Amino acid sequence: MSGRRPVVYPDTTAPLRDRTREALADDSLAANLRAAGASWGTARARISAENPFAQMRDRAREIRRGDIGDLPELLDRLEERVRAAGGVVTRAADADAACRYITDLAAARGATLVAKSKSMATEEIKLNEAIEESGLRVVETDLGEWILQLAGQHPSHIVAPAVHLNKEQVRQVLMAESGWELPTDREALVAHARTRLREVFASADIGISGVNFGVAETGTICVVENEGNARLVTALPRIHVAVMGMERVVRDWDEAAHILQILPMAAIGDDAAGYVNLITGPRAPGEADGPEELHLVILDGGRSALLGTDLEEALDCIRCGACLYSCPMWRSVGGQAYGSPYSGPIGSVLTPLLEGMEGERSSELPFMSSLCGSCHDACPVGIPLHDLLVRVRARVTTTAHRRDRARFRLWSRAWSSPGAYRLSVAAARIGLRLVGRRGWARRLPGPGAEWTSQRDLPTRWPPTPPR
Amino acid sequence: MAADTAALSEGLLAALARRRATGAVVDAAGAAGAAAAQAAQWGVTRSLLVDDPVLEDLAIGPGLARDGDGHEVLVWPEGRGRGWRELLGLEGPELTMGVTVPRLGVAERGTLVLETGPGHGRSIDVVSMYHLAVLPASRLRATLGEALVETYARDGRPPSAVSLVSAPSRTSDIEKISTLGAHGAKGLHVLVVADR
Repeated sequence: MSGRRPVVYPDTTAPLRDRTREALADDSLAANLRAAGASWGTARARISAENPFAQMRDRAREIRRGDIGDLPELLDRLEERVRAAGGVVTRAADADAACRYITDLAAARGATLVAKSKSMATEEIKLNEAIEESGLRVVETDLGEWILQLAGQHPSHIVAPAVHLNKEQVRQVLMAESGWELPTDREALVAHARTRLREVFASADIGISGVNFGVAETGTICVVENEGNARLVTALPRIHVAVMGMERVVRDWDEAAHILQILPMAAIGDDAAGYVNLITGPRAPGEADGPEELHLVILDGGRSALLGTDLEEALDCIRCGACLYSCPMWRSVGGQAYGSPYSGPIGSVLTPLLEGMEGERSSELPFMSSLCGSCHDACPVGIPLHDLLVRVRARVTTTAHRRDRARFRLWSRAWSSPGAYRLSVAAARIGLRLVGRRGWARRLPGPGAEWTSQRDLPTRWPPTPPR
Repeated sequence: MAADTAALSEGLLAALARRRATGAVVDAAGAAGAAAAQAAQWGVTRSLLVDDPVLEDLAIGPGLARDGDGHEVLVWPEGRGRGWRELLGLEGPELTMGVTVPRLGVAERGTLVLETGPGHGRSIDVVSMYHLAVLPASRLRATLGEALVETYARDGRPPSAVSLVSAPSRTSDIEKISTLGAHGAKGLHVLVVADR
């Protein structure tokens, strides 16, 4: 076997423009994304036709708006009920606090192996890196996440993290891990992963899961999945740590039942997830299995600052990934080019909100959208993502792009005076004639080069017909 | 069987079939035979049963043990004095079939509601290669909302773990094509036992 490991793709330290170019030039990525988008689209169209999706979505939106409106109260109730059931609850203000709590716990219990099920919140806080730095081994057990962990890559989709890879690429990664020769056969690759990961479930000291929802009424954590790994992670190790974004609370079981139905419809085009694990506290007296300790880490990480603002609706998100599949940008470049754990339209909104407006990704991602609104149509809780994108752009522009603001102010002042307007247009006309050949400018200097890299610019009016 | 129960059973099995699970409606006298036949079809050699009066009444355990040579039938959690980790096949030979008795079944979406308790381990259906669920028809409910509200409406501490199972273990992580048996049961078969 070749032992070839795929490169981390694309290099997330490169500027966004380079990352998207690199992604667009990758034919296999384009084919994988096209197939994924088409398969989701078909399943989603079928399930929407079989169910009163529009009404379900209205109800889901009402539920999420209500829950976020009462968030502080619902969180208090959730915390109280989890404690009453024997769980330990901690509120982490930021990523550092959350990671520190978990690594301290692991050290205190003498843990050596941590098994994880899929969790975007732990991607957000870079928990794996923190655990590894503390000297422990951590293994992702969701098949897609495991493949990416082995390949040294980040997820490209909230729900289907390895959707950008094809089976041959997956085979290469799995062969490099085990040193075994494997066929390019999906079932064989899945069976292989099952065998390798069973040892991890059997010997892990700590299981870490995400939380799709916390149900305030009873203090119950819902973990939704299809593979069965989340059940094993939450049932077999001695300690279960659940990491939850603070907005992921629903009031009661009536609401939970509704969200649990619309989530898989939006995410995978099915009316039920394969497994939903509903966990209320650790192992109860008289029970033979289940963790002895349950720790719930509730992560703020910038979320509470959105409450009561015109960006609050970003907190309604149930992380189904539908807006990614529906987005023409995401479908063209995939999630990795975004360089953030959250990609696609919701990622372009959340990244600046959670990381602050100053970062490089924050100032670029909100502009990675044509504002076509297909994300809003796809969203099962009706978040007006295109409006949020515009609002985030405005914020980013007022905080990060001081130079741009100065430039636009100058331009606005110049074109407010007829004399200055005429002068600038005359100068542009002469400039264009100078660089143009036969009525067309094909390569402009300076900032104009970006325009002419894609199109030609007529230098006369009416334009000469192109040859 | 009452007409509404028949409709609910049909709904449950039809919804499960869409997710590649199988099942049948059987009467009490035929349940043990149907369980044994399914185990034989899967080639099961080692089964772990939840400790539940429904399985005892229907004589599912003895029915399985009669099936061919060397079919080892264990009952949670004592299982002939072994530790629970060995019972689950985490140590020693892998478990091939888990037999559960769901507390409720949901017809609308094709969902089983498995509740943990002293006789019901929380991972029996997932550590096994195959999952056989034995559901009395009287436990069928029309909607998920009804079933969840009923499960959590009781006084006292809510069940420590409830699992909603609606499909065999599956993954679409390779090329978005659904493949069975990722970590949990590769096959799910539901026997709906008609009321006596």
